[in-house]
Amino acid sequence: MKGSEVVRMVPDKNGQANEGHSCVKGRFAWGYATHKDRILKPMIRGKITDPWKEVSWDEALDYAAAEFRRIQKKYGRDSIGGIVSSRCTNEEGYLVQKLVRTAFGNNNVDTCARVCHSPTGYGLKQTLGESAGTQTFKSVEHSDVIMVIGANPTDAHPVFASRMKKRLLNGAKLIVIDPRHIDLVRSPHVRADFHLPLKPGTNVAMLSSIAHVIVTEGLLATDFIAQRCEDKAFQQWRDFVALPENSPEAMQEITGVPAELVRGAARLYATGGNAAIYYGLGVTEHAQGSTAVMGIANLAMATGNIGREGVGVNPLRGQNNVQGSCDIGSFPHELPGYRHVSDSTTRHLFEQAWGVEIQPEPGLRIPNMFDAALDGSFMGMYCQGEDIVQSDPNTQHVTAALSAMECIVVQDIFMNETAMYAHVFLPGSSFLEKDGTFTNAERRISRVRKVMPPKAVYADWEVTVLLAQRMGYTMDYAHPSEIMDEIARLTPTFHGVSYEKLDQLGSIQWPCNDEAPLGTPTMHIDHFVRGKGKFIITKYVATDEKVTRKFPLILTTGRILSQYNVGAQTRRTENVQWHQQDILEIHPHDAEERGIRDGGWVGIHSRSGETVLRAKVSERMQPGVVYTTFHFPESGANVITTENSDWATNCPEYKVTAVQVMPVLESSDWQKKYTRFSKVQDDLLKNAGEGTGNKTPDIKIKAVAKSIA
Amino acid sequence: MLEQLNEKDFGTPRRIAEQEVTLEIDGMQVTVAAGTSIMRAAAESGVNVPKLCATDSLEPFGSCRLCLVEIEGRKGYPASCTTQVERGMKVRTQTPKLQALRKGVMELYISDHPLDCLTCAANGNCELQDMAGVTGLREVRYGYEGENHIHSQKDESNPYFTYDPSKCIVCNRCVRACEETQGTYALTISGRGFESRVSPGQDQPFMDSECVSCGACVQACPTATLQEKTVIELGQAEHSVVTTCAY
Repeated sequence: MKGSEVVRMVPDKNGQANEGHSCVKGRFAWGYATHKDRILKPMIRGKITDPWKEVSWDEALDYAAAEFRRIQKKYGRDSIGGIVSSRCTNEEGYLVQKLVRTAFGNNNVDTCARVCHSPTGYGLKQTLGESAGTQTFKSVEHSDVIMVIGANPTDAHPVFASRMKKRLLNGAKLIVIDPRHIDLVRSPHVRADFHLPLKPGTNVAMLSSIAHVIVTEGLLATDFIAQRCEDKAFQQWRDFVALPENSPEAMQEITGVPAELVRGAARLYATGGNAAIYYGLGVTEHAQGSTAVMGIANLAMATGNIGREGVGVNPLRGQNNVQGSCDIGSFPHELPGYRHVSDSTTRHLFEQAWGVEIQPEPGLRIPNMFDAALDGSFMGMYCQGEDIVQSDPNTQHVTAALSAMECIVVQDIFMNETAMYAHVFLPGSSFLEKDGTFTNAERRISRVRKVMPPKAVYADWEVTVLLAQRMGYTMDYAHPSEIMDEIARLTPTFHGVSYEKLDQLGSIQWPCNDEAPLGTPTMHIDHFVRGKGKFIITKYVATDEKVTRKFPLILTTGRILSQYNVGAQTRRTENVQWHQQDILEIHPHDAEERGIRDGGWVGIHSRSGETVLRAKVSERMQPGVVYTTFHFPESGANVITTENSDWATNCPEYKVTAVQVMPVLESSDWQKKYTRFSKVQDDLLKNAGEGTGNKTPDIKIKAVAKSIA
Repeated sequence: MLEQLNEKDFGTPRRIAEQEVTLEIDGMQVTVAAGTSIMRAAAESGVNVPKLCATDSLEPFGSCRLCLVEIEGRKGYPASCTTQVERGMKVRTQTPKLQALRKGVMELYISDHPLDCLTCAANGNCELQDMAGVTGLREVRYGYEGENHIHSQKDESNPYFTYDPSKCIVCNRCVRACEETQGTYALTISGRGFESRVSPGQDQPFMDSECVSCGACVQACPTATLQEKTVIELGQAEHSVVTTCAY
């Protein structure tokens, strides 16, 4: 730092998650924080076709609070809700859900995990008893076999990927289960021992057939199972997976993977020593996402690969604080610490602490909010640091829902896609402008430290406090550490967490309490959190999203190294030099059949919609499968994705959309409409205020901190 | 001046072993885990042996010849980064002979280095500069007129950092960081002897190579050869804060 200007970011050697390494985003792509597009003044407007009007914080907050109260009076208590950000801090997320459960008086709160790892939360809770990964990242150094399922770590989790590659170079074996030929399958000095290129949407079939081999070839860890798992559930599961219909030979037709490959991979996983599973959104974002997560937990229990270093079940998370945002009660059915709102003991604890009555029924999930908006029963939303318009599937449905609502309050650092449908804009603060904590996939809570004053006066947590106050509910905190103290007081897995201890230890992996005062690096060591581990039957059910003559290809979506999610941050950095637009990857056979040239424009149709991207003809794809990323709003990747979702959690089925792809000459109707709408919104923003324009003060602040923990 | 901004560098990675080894370094008893390098054992007890090619995030390499030490009963001057501790070893890190050897090595480095320290982006945060100070370099007997790399072309293709081969001492830290820390193997040393230069891929610009721009090489570089553009623009930092990455 130079004063409040960032000079460089250097990953901290003592950072317990990254041990001195970072990727291009963390080390270099922080310029967005001081980008000229930052909106630094609160704004309001009556209708989304009105120009924005710059107002004082007081006026904006008064307006938002009055609108929310008006809507509740007219449409009922449950007609408003809030969205917790997975990029903001734990403390900020906690306050948003608290605002909803106190000032709003309902449980209509949800978070972006809904669209990424909600099946992990559900699946791991059911089987192992805790909604989180079991290991530290460092644990991979003790793995002998690494199984990567539906994840592309070298692009999406590059720091961990480096660590994994290091272990692979030193002799660990690698199994990759992924429809695509991802870099890990073959890169300099690393080669997968098994690559099972299954058809998208067949994870459960694959996992069951791997289990079939383990059970029928006598590879079960019988002692572990006898001691640690529920016997009856195990026997039922064993009998189920042993059925001939679950054999790799029988499943070959479904997965498209030769049975011998599956058998080989299963034997290696079961007998190769310490075996660890790492999985990503390629597992969760399916109609059977939760089932697949349980299938993964089953495999780990069946082979005794859980409860020590080098093994385990490890979700690779979607955003920096998606673990944390889930931990602190951002789901409509759970209070902090994954405790169901129907549990009266927990509810009473919070009722006493918060001085309100908490509703015992779960609130609306994000997709339910959209449906309710279109029904006319959900009319107001407080959305902090999450771009639902670009993130959520079936964009047309989302924008129709938002257009039907009467007051959308967006709190963000940029005028994101959702903000174009908003009535109140509250300027957000970047991670450089506030204190707080983030929690990563290892359950590791790390401190976020303020290095510059908030550019728009308030940190995000302060804005929530002010909004609550305007709605008649007092939140009294002088510093985020006091919010963490409250979380710790009310949440058994956080009882031992404090800023003081975080400063002492550097970071803490929850559970941290009297039983584990220094935190818990590895979970489920002597017993599962739920007591005995529970095998759950995972019957493969094909998704409704089937290829047809009209839509003969499967589209699957994902990310790329240089861009982060909806790209609001990384698109505003030099990272665009690596990835300036989303492209459609297509196998040479499929391309040739359709007369598609490398670099040519192609129209992609699904039953939801159509968009146009440039094509990249690539052997990375298998025939019949196409792929794109979703980093640029004008790409409309989610115009094509459908409303299909995981049966248990409504996590969208982003990974399977039946499409047709054809060469075209111009952008799609949606894109044309989008361009017009964005242009209008841009003008409404430019004309904000009273002829002052929306010029943000051109403060030259270059960056931040020296160390990334 | 910027020492307080950089974390202490022990020279070689920490070793974990049940067995401990006690030895004597500059007359002090030092106990460390078996397998530890003499360099690290010294650093842990507060003695910093001069070094350029060693850094504790990378395996020892033994190329810079600055970290030479004397070990009682042994011939020659082994490199302390690649020599492991042994029980009862008596090591001396500072003797007139070592001083002369190190100074000689530094003279060679500096005879092929642009002497623009005051206007260099790494000024105040440069290990080569530090070592010139530590070794007591006062003159370069070889002069500066011999064959050199001073007019090498800068590669500014990467948006975040520059590569200036004229400042490179070929310590291999960047190449090793790309392999060991990042695992991408985008960098190599092309050419032999005097012609040796760090090269992304087949002598390509960084942006055209396999480089994923993780920056591990920039962090590992002991000079201004690989340098963040923000530091070039703004100068060195004056304080630091530890926080958590927001990606």
